[in-house]
Amino acid sequence: MKTLVKFLLLIFPFLINAQIQTDVSLIKYEDLEKRIQQEKDKFVVVNFWATTCAPCVKELPHFIEVNKKYSQNPNFKMLLVSLDMARDKQKVINFIKTKNLTAEVVILDDNKRMNTWIPKFQKDWEGEIPVTFFYKNGEKVFFNNGEMSLEELESAINKNYNP
Amino acid sequence: MKKRKWLSYGLILILGLLSFTKVYNSGYQVGDEATDFKLKNVDGKMVSLSDFKSAKGFIVVFTCNHCPYAKKYEDRIVALDKMYKDKGYPVIAINPNDPTVQPQDGFAEMQTRAKEKGFTFPYLVDEGQKIYPVYGATKTPHVYILKKENGKNIVKYIGTIDNNYENPNDVSDHYVQDAVNQLLKNEPVKTEKTVAIGCTIKVKK
Repeated sequence: MKTLVKFLLLIFPFLINAQIQTDVSLIKYEDLEKRIQQEKDKFVVVNFWATTCAPCVKELPHFIEVNKKYSQNPNFKMLLVSLDMARDKQKVINFIKTKNLTAEVVILDDNKRMNTWIPKFQKDWEGEIPVTFFYKNGEKVFFNNGEMSLEELESAINKNYNP
Repeated sequence: MKKRKWLSYGLILILGLLSFTKVYNSGYQVGDEATDFKLKNVDGKMVSLSDFKSAKGFIVVFTCNHCPYAKKYEDRIVALDKMYKDKGYPVIAINPNDPTVQPQDGFAEMQTRAKEKGFTFPYLVDEGQKIYPVYGATKTPHVYILKKENGKNIVKYIGTIDNNYENPNDVSDHYVQDAVNQLLKNEPVKTEKTVAIGCTIKVKK
């Protein structure tokens, strides 16, 4: 028991550090869909962004603030889906570090099949970013097209979450 | 009497549904008649679709200077104009962004970019942002292919240029080329609507 406590104390700082990702996985649309469904017992916020998209970068601090607020809540999950190119992976990793992104980031590396996955997420989404999806029990409950203020993001969560 | 009541309920329901679809489908759909415009080109002259007397149609591209997705397509837009201008489908590029929100998309910057990239087509300013909402463009780049039919410009295709913004050598679906080729052969356009990731249009606040 003592050794276990010691061990936990030893790795504790690493657990804290683990909040900041040091690597990002490149995934296909099907993986992303599975990833969202894996969290179906949670309220999930999925934001599509890119390091090259100014309004996306502008709204990200609001997402981080909200994620920090809910990070202790086991029923809340935030997923930041980067649409940067696979070859810009290091740029995304650096961005996570400098901007202190504590929510999980994945790169959706599925450029050639946009016509398959964009309408699957939302019929009237024509591909402009940023956009944000809100899921409850694995079902999409809200879609926001465009940049969100902190107030808009919090109100979308409050309206649709009801923990 | 009862019948009439139900009829009016039905009518209200249908009207309600119609107004609902209208909200979600603002802008042009394939088959609609597109409006002409008079917009300032980078050379200072005003340009309208009606100036192109011998054109059979147009490749109207809402694009801009700053957007990384639009930049990736600049060379391909020039290539499209070179390929199709003489066949009757010139490119008309329109920058829909407000320069107070996105300074890189100002008129002087557009002039510089057009020169740098050797644009062979008009690059127009959507001054006051009046035209892009009529078309229903939501992002850059966003393409509308128009065909002249009985003096009207009919929308035949809405969407993206091809299916790989990242690498022009790894494109497997050339949506715009295919659509124009089909129109030149007087065939219906097979893929009339496509979507792709792009930059939101920067609207004046």
